[in-house]
Amino acid sequence: MASVPSSSSSSSPSQPKTRKKPGQNSSPPPPPQTKWQTGTQERLYSRRLVDALRATRDRTQVQESVGSRAVKEAADSALALTARGQSRWSRAILFGRNSCRRKLLVKAGGKIRRHRRKQHGAPPVAAAAAEPGVLKEQKVKERLRKLGRLVPGCRKLPAATLLEEAADYVAALELQVRTMRALAEALSAATVSAPEEEETEAVDPIAIAEQGS
Amino acid sequence: MSSRRSRSRRSSNSSRITEEQIVELVSKLQDLLPEARSRSSERVSASRVLQDTCNYIRDLQQEVDDLSERLADMLATTDMTSAQAAIIRSLLM
Repeated sequence: MASVPSSSSSSSPSQPKTRKKPGQNSSPPPPPQTKWQTGTQERLYSRRLVDALRATRDRTQVQESVGSRAVKEAADSALALTARGQSRWSRAILFGRNSCRRKLLVKAGGKIRRHRRKQHGAPPVAAAAAEPGVLKEQKVKERLRKLGRLVPGCRKLPAATLLEEAADYVAALELQVRTMRALAEALSAATVSAPEEEETEAVDPIAIAEQGS
Repeated sequence: MSSRRSRSRRSSNSSRITEEQIVELVSKLQDLLPEARSRSSERVSASRVLQDTCNYIRDLQQEVDDLSERLADMLATTDMTSAQAAIIRSLLM
Protein backbone atom coordinates (compact mmCIF):
# COMPACT_ATOMS: atom_id res chain seq x y z
CA MET A 1 0.00 0.00 0.00
CA ALA A 2 2.77 2.37 0.90
CA SER A 3 4.71 1.53 -2.22
CA VAL A 4 2.31 3.27 -4.54
CA PRO A 5 3.59 6.84 -4.22
CA SER A 6 7.21 5.82 -4.58
CA SER A 7 6.59 3.79 -7.67
CA SER A 8 4.53 6.46 -9.31
CA SER A 9 7.26 9.02 -8.97
CA SER A 10 9.72 6.87 -10.85
CA SER A 11 7.60 6.36 -13.91
CA SER A 12 8.20 8.65 -16.89
CA PRO A 13 10.42 11.13 -15.12
CA SER A 14 11.01 13.21 -18.21
CA GLN A 15 7.40 14.04 -18.81
CA PRO A 16 6.60 16.59 -16.10
CA LYS A 17 9.87 18.50 -16.49
CA THR A 18 9.54 19.02 -20.20
CA ARG A 19 5.97 20.12 -20.09
CA LYS A 20 6.41 22.69 -17.40
CA LYS A 21 9.54 24.41 -18.67
CA PRO A 22 8.99 25.92 -22.06
CA GLY A 23 12.64 26.81 -22.54
CA GLN A 24 13.66 23.20 -22.72
CA ASN A 25 13.13 22.22 -26.33
CA SER A 26 16.46 20.62 -27.09
CA SER A 27 15.10 17.15 -27.77
CA PRO A 28 11.39 16.45 -28.18
CA PRO A 29 9.99 14.31 -25.38
CA PRO A 30 8.80 10.81 -26.24
CA PRO A 31 5.27 10.79 -27.61
CA PRO A 32 2.93 10.90 -24.66
CA GLN A 33 0.82 8.06 -25.91
CA THR A 34 3.47 5.42 -25.47
CA LYS A 35 3.55 6.09 -21.77
CA TRP A 36 0.17 4.43 -21.60
CA GLN A 37 1.53 1.28 -23.08
CA THR A 38 4.30 0.63 -20.62
CA GLY A 39 3.79 -2.00 -17.99
CA THR A 40 4.31 0.59 -15.28
CA GLN A 41 1.17 2.45 -16.16
CA GLU A 42 -0.80 -0.76 -16.26
CA ARG A 43 0.31 -1.80 -12.84
CA LEU A 44 -0.26 1.69 -11.47
CA TYR A 45 -3.68 1.89 -12.94
CA SER A 46 -4.78 -1.59 -11.88
CA ARG A 47 -3.74 -0.88 -8.36
CA ARG A 48 -5.53 2.46 -8.34
CA LEU A 49 -8.58 0.88 -9.87
CA VAL A 50 -8.76 -1.81 -7.24
CA ASP A 51 -8.40 0.79 -4.51
CA ALA A 52 -11.08 2.94 -6.02
CA LEU A 53 -13.43 0.00 -6.38
CA ARG A 54 -12.88 -1.03 -2.82
CA ALA A 55 -13.59 2.50 -1.65
CA THR A 56 -16.73 2.59 -3.76
CA ARG A 57 -17.93 -0.66 -2.34
CA ASP A 58 -17.23 0.42 1.21
CA ARG A 59 -19.06 3.67 0.65
CA THR A 60 -22.17 1.92 -0.67
CA GLN A 61 -24.88 1.32 1.86
CA VAL A 62 -25.60 -2.23 2.86
CA GLN A 63 -29.02 -2.28 1.21
CA GLU A 64 -27.98 -0.75 -2.08
CA SER A 65 -25.87 -2.49 -4.62
CA VAL A 66 -22.82 -0.97 -6.21
CA GLY A 67 -24.11 0.99 -9.18
CA SER A 68 -22.42 0.68 -12.52
CA ARG A 69 -22.16 4.42 -12.79
CA ALA A 70 -20.24 4.53 -9.53
CA VAL A 71 -17.86 1.92 -10.87
CA LYS A 72 -17.37 3.84 -14.09
CA GLU A 73 -16.74 7.08 -12.24
CA ALA A 74 -14.26 5.38 -9.96
CA ALA A 75 -12.50 3.88 -12.97
CA ASP A 76 -12.39 7.24 -14.75
CA SER A 77 -11.09 9.02 -11.70
CA ALA A 78 -8.43 6.37 -11.24
CA LEU A 79 -7.47 6.78 -14.87
CA ALA A 80 -7.26 10.54 -14.56
CA LEU A 81 -5.15 10.16 -11.45
CA THR A 82 -2.77 7.87 -13.26
CA ALA A 83 -2.36 10.57 -15.87
CA ARG A 84 -1.05 12.71 -13.04
CA GLY A 85 -2.93 15.72 -14.22
CA GLN A 86 -0.68 16.29 -17.19
CA SER A 87 -3.44 16.37 -19.74
CA ARG A 88 -6.46 18.57 -19.92
CA TRP A 89 -8.95 15.76 -19.99
CA SER A 90 -7.55 14.25 -16.81
CA ARG A 91 -7.75 17.57 -15.03
CA ALA A 92 -11.27 18.07 -16.28
CA ILE A 93 -12.31 14.70 -14.88
CA LEU A 94 -10.67 15.28 -11.52
CA PHE A 95 -11.89 18.82 -11.08
CA GLY A 96 -15.34 17.91 -12.24
CA ARG A 97 -15.75 15.21 -9.64
CA ASN A 98 -14.57 17.19 -6.72
CA SER A 99 -17.27 19.06 -4.85
CA CYS A 100 -15.03 21.98 -4.01
CA ARG A 101 -14.35 22.63 -7.65
CA ARG A 102 -13.85 26.35 -7.20
CA LYS A 103 -11.14 25.96 -4.63
CA LEU A 104 -9.22 23.46 -6.69
CA LEU A 105 -9.48 25.53 -9.82
CA VAL A 106 -8.13 28.58 -8.08
CA LYS A 107 -5.37 26.80 -6.21
CA ALA A 108 -3.93 24.19 -8.48
CA GLY A 109 -5.74 25.33 -11.58
CA GLY A 110 -4.71 28.93 -11.24
CA LYS A 111 -1.67 28.11 -13.27
CA ILE A 112 -3.83 26.48 -15.88
CA ARG A 113 -6.07 29.48 -16.15
CA ARG A 114 -3.12 31.74 -16.65
CA HIS A 115 -1.76 29.59 -19.42
CA ARG A 116 -5.10 29.56 -21.15
CA ARG A 117 -5.29 33.30 -21.09
CA LYS A 118 -1.85 33.51 -22.57
CA GLN A 119 -2.80 31.21 -25.40
CA HIS A 120 -6.02 32.98 -26.15
CA GLY A 121 -4.37 36.35 -25.90
CA ALA A 122 -1.93 35.81 -28.73
CA PRO A 123 -3.63 33.84 -31.48
CA PRO A 124 -7.24 35.00 -31.84
CA VAL A 125 -6.49 37.53 -34.53
CA ALA A 126 -3.70 35.66 -36.24
CA ALA A 127 -5.30 32.23 -36.10
CA ALA A 128 -8.02 33.01 -38.57
CA ALA A 129 -5.56 33.77 -41.31
CA ALA A 130 -2.82 31.36 -40.29
CA GLU A 131 -4.83 28.15 -40.16
CA PRO A 132 -3.44 25.42 -42.35
CA GLY A 133 -5.45 24.53 -45.38
CA VAL A 134 -6.83 21.25 -44.18
CA LEU A 135 -8.46 22.85 -41.17
CA LYS A 136 -10.55 25.22 -43.22
CA GLU A 137 -12.74 22.51 -44.66
CA GLN A 138 -16.18 22.39 -43.20
CA LYS A 139 -16.18 18.64 -42.70
CA VAL A 140 -12.95 18.77 -40.75
CA LYS A 141 -14.27 21.57 -38.59
CA GLU A 142 -17.41 19.64 -37.77
CA ARG A 143 -15.50 16.53 -36.89
CA LEU A 144 -13.12 18.50 -34.72
CA ARG A 145 -16.10 19.90 -32.87
CA LYS A 146 -17.49 16.43 -32.37
CA LEU A 147 -14.16 15.28 -31.06
CA GLY A 148 -14.05 18.20 -28.67
CA ARG A 149 -17.36 17.13 -27.23
CA LEU A 150 -16.20 13.56 -26.68
CA VAL A 151 -12.99 14.29 -24.86
CA PRO A 152 -13.76 15.70 -21.44
CA GLY A 153 -12.80 19.30 -20.91
CA CYS A 154 -11.74 19.97 -24.45
CA ARG A 155 -14.57 21.85 -26.03
CA LYS A 156 -12.90 25.12 -26.79
CA LEU A 157 -9.39 24.06 -27.59
CA PRO A 158 -7.49 24.96 -30.71
CA ALA A 159 -7.06 22.16 -33.18
CA ALA A 160 -3.51 21.13 -32.42
CA THR A 161 -4.12 20.90 -28.69
CA LEU A 162 -7.33 19.00 -29.23
CA LEU A 163 -5.58 16.48 -31.43
CA GLU A 164 -2.91 15.89 -28.85
CA GLU A 165 -5.45 15.52 -26.07
CA ALA A 166 -7.46 13.13 -28.17
CA ALA A 167 -4.46 10.93 -28.86
CA ASP A 168 -3.60 10.79 -25.18
CA TYR A 169 -7.20 10.12 -24.27
CA VAL A 170 -7.49 7.26 -26.76
CA ALA A 171 -4.38 5.59 -25.39
CA ALA A 172 -5.62 6.02 -21.83
CA LEU A 173 -9.04 4.62 -22.68
CA GLU A 174 -7.41 1.58 -24.24
CA LEU A 175 -5.50 1.03 -21.04
CA GLN A 176 -8.67 1.40 -19.04
CA VAL A 177 -10.52 -1.15 -21.16
CA ARG A 178 -7.64 -3.61 -21.03
CA THR A 179 -7.34 -3.39 -17.27
CA MET A 180 -11.04 -3.55 -16.53
CA ARG A 181 -11.49 -6.47 -18.86
CA ALA A 182 -8.62 -8.36 -17.24
CA LEU A 183 -10.08 -7.68 -13.82
CA ALA A 184 -13.53 -8.79 -14.89
CA GLU A 185 -12.18 -11.93 -16.49
CA ALA A 186 -10.19 -12.81 -13.42
CA LEU A 187 -13.13 -12.26 -11.13
CA SER A 188 -15.55 -14.23 -13.27
CA ALA A 189 -13.09 -17.07 -13.71
CA ALA A 190 -12.65 -17.29 -9.98
CA THR A 191 -16.37 -17.19 -9.42
CA VAL A 192 -16.94 -20.00 -11.86
CA SER A 193 -14.24 -22.19 -10.46
CA ALA A 194 -15.30 -21.90 -6.84
CA PRO A 195 -19.08 -21.87 -6.66
CA GLU A 196 -19.52 -24.01 -3.58
CA GLU A 197 -17.91 -21.75 -1.07
CA GLU A 198 -20.90 -19.54 -0.57
CA GLU A 199 -21.39 -20.26 3.07
CA THR A 200 -18.01 -18.94 4.11
CA GLU A 201 -17.94 -15.36 5.25
CA ALA A 202 -17.21 -12.84 2.57
CA VAL A 203 -13.48 -12.57 2.25
CA ASP A 204 -12.41 -9.19 1.02
CA PRO A 205 -9.99 -10.00 -1.80
CA ILE A 206 -8.74 -6.47 -2.06
CA ALA A 207 -7.73 -6.32 1.56
CA ILE A 208 -5.93 -9.62 1.22
CA ALA A 209 -4.23 -8.45 -1.93
CA GLU A 210 -3.02 -5.33 -0.23
CA GLN A 211 -1.74 -7.24 2.74
CA GLY A 212 0.05 -9.67 0.54
CA SER A 213 1.72 -7.07 -1.63
CA MET B 1 1.06 23.61 -21.17
CA SER B 2 2.22 26.56 -23.19
CA SER B 3 5.35 24.56 -23.93
CA ARG B 4 3.49 23.06 -26.84
CA ARG B 5 3.40 26.43 -28.47
CA SER B 6 7.10 26.87 -28.03
CA ARG B 7 7.76 23.65 -29.93
CA SER B 8 6.14 24.99 -33.08
CA ARG B 9 8.25 27.08 -35.39
CA ARG B 10 7.89 30.65 -34.34
CA SER B 11 9.38 32.21 -37.39
CA SER B 12 7.28 35.20 -38.38
CA ASN B 13 3.92 34.75 -36.71
CA SER B 14 4.25 33.74 -33.10
CA SER B 15 2.22 30.68 -32.11
CA ARG B 16 1.22 29.97 -35.68
CA ILE B 17 0.09 26.42 -36.09
CA THR B 18 1.94 25.02 -39.07
CA GLU B 19 0.32 22.73 -41.53
CA GLU B 20 2.81 19.98 -41.03
CA GLN B 21 2.30 20.11 -37.29
CA ILE B 22 -1.36 19.35 -37.84
CA VAL B 23 -0.55 16.68 -40.37
CA GLU B 24 1.87 15.08 -37.96
CA LEU B 25 -0.67 15.12 -35.15
CA VAL B 26 -3.31 13.63 -37.40
CA SER B 27 -1.03 10.84 -38.52
CA LYS B 28 -0.07 10.17 -34.92
CA LEU B 29 -3.74 9.85 -34.12
CA GLN B 30 -4.22 7.62 -37.12
CA ASP B 31 -1.53 5.27 -35.88
CA LEU B 32 -3.38 4.82 -32.63
CA LEU B 33 -6.57 3.72 -34.29
CA PRO B 34 -7.22 0.02 -34.76
CA GLU B 35 -7.63 0.53 -38.50
CA ALA B 36 -4.00 1.46 -38.71
CA ARG B 37 -2.95 -2.13 -38.22
CA SER B 38 -4.72 -3.29 -41.32
CA ARG B 39 -4.18 -0.20 -43.37
CA SER B 40 -0.38 0.08 -43.24
CA SER B 41 0.52 3.58 -43.62
CA GLU B 42 -1.14 5.17 -46.54
CA ARG B 43 -2.24 8.64 -45.77
CA VAL B 44 -5.91 8.96 -45.10
CA SER B 45 -7.78 12.23 -45.23
CA ALA B 46 -7.90 14.20 -42.01
CA SER B 47 -11.66 14.17 -41.85
CA ARG B 48 -11.66 10.41 -42.14
CA VAL B 49 -9.17 10.07 -39.33
CA LEU B 50 -11.21 12.37 -37.13
CA GLN B 51 -14.34 10.44 -37.90
CA ASP B 52 -12.67 7.16 -37.06
CA THR B 53 -11.30 8.66 -33.88
CA CYS B 54 -14.72 9.84 -32.76
CA ASN B 55 -16.18 6.42 -33.44
CA TYR B 56 -13.35 4.69 -31.68
CA ILE B 57 -13.60 6.89 -28.62
CA ARG B 58 -17.32 6.29 -28.50
CA ASP B 59 -16.79 2.55 -28.78
CA LEU B 60 -14.19 2.57 -26.04
CA GLN B 61 -16.43 4.56 -23.74
CA GLN B 62 -19.25 2.15 -24.42
CA GLU B 63 -16.97 -0.74 -23.55
CA VAL B 64 -16.03 0.96 -20.33
CA ASP B 65 -19.70 1.31 -19.49
CA ASP B 66 -20.36 -2.34 -20.18
CA LEU B 67 -17.35 -3.45 -18.21
CA SER B 68 -18.27 -1.28 -15.27
CA GLU B 69 -21.72 -2.78 -15.27
CA ARG B 70 -20.16 -6.21 -15.22
CA LEU B 71 -17.80 -5.25 -12.43
CA ALA B 72 -20.60 -3.66 -10.46
CA ASP B 73 -22.60 -6.86 -10.64
CA MET B 74 -19.64 -8.86 -9.55
CA LEU B 75 -18.84 -6.56 -6.70
CA ALA B 76 -22.42 -6.73 -5.54
CA THR B 77 -22.35 -10.48 -5.16
CA THR B 78 -19.99 -10.72 -2.28
CA ASP B 79 -19.18 -14.33 -2.78
CA MET B 80 -15.54 -13.49 -2.81
CA THR B 81 -13.34 -16.40 -2.03
CA SER B 82 -9.69 -16.61 -1.38
CA ALA B 83 -9.20 -17.92 -4.90
CA GLN B 84 -10.37 -14.62 -6.26
CA ALA B 85 -8.07 -12.84 -3.90
CA ALA B 86 -5.14 -14.86 -5.21
CA ILE B 87 -6.06 -14.01 -8.78
CA ILE B 88 -6.32 -10.34 -8.06
CA ARG B 89 -3.02 -10.44 -6.29
CA SER B 90 -1.39 -12.04 -9.30
CA LEU B 91 -2.91 -9.36 -11.50
CA LEU B 92 -1.35 -6.63 -9.46
CA MET B 93 2.12 -8.11 -9.33
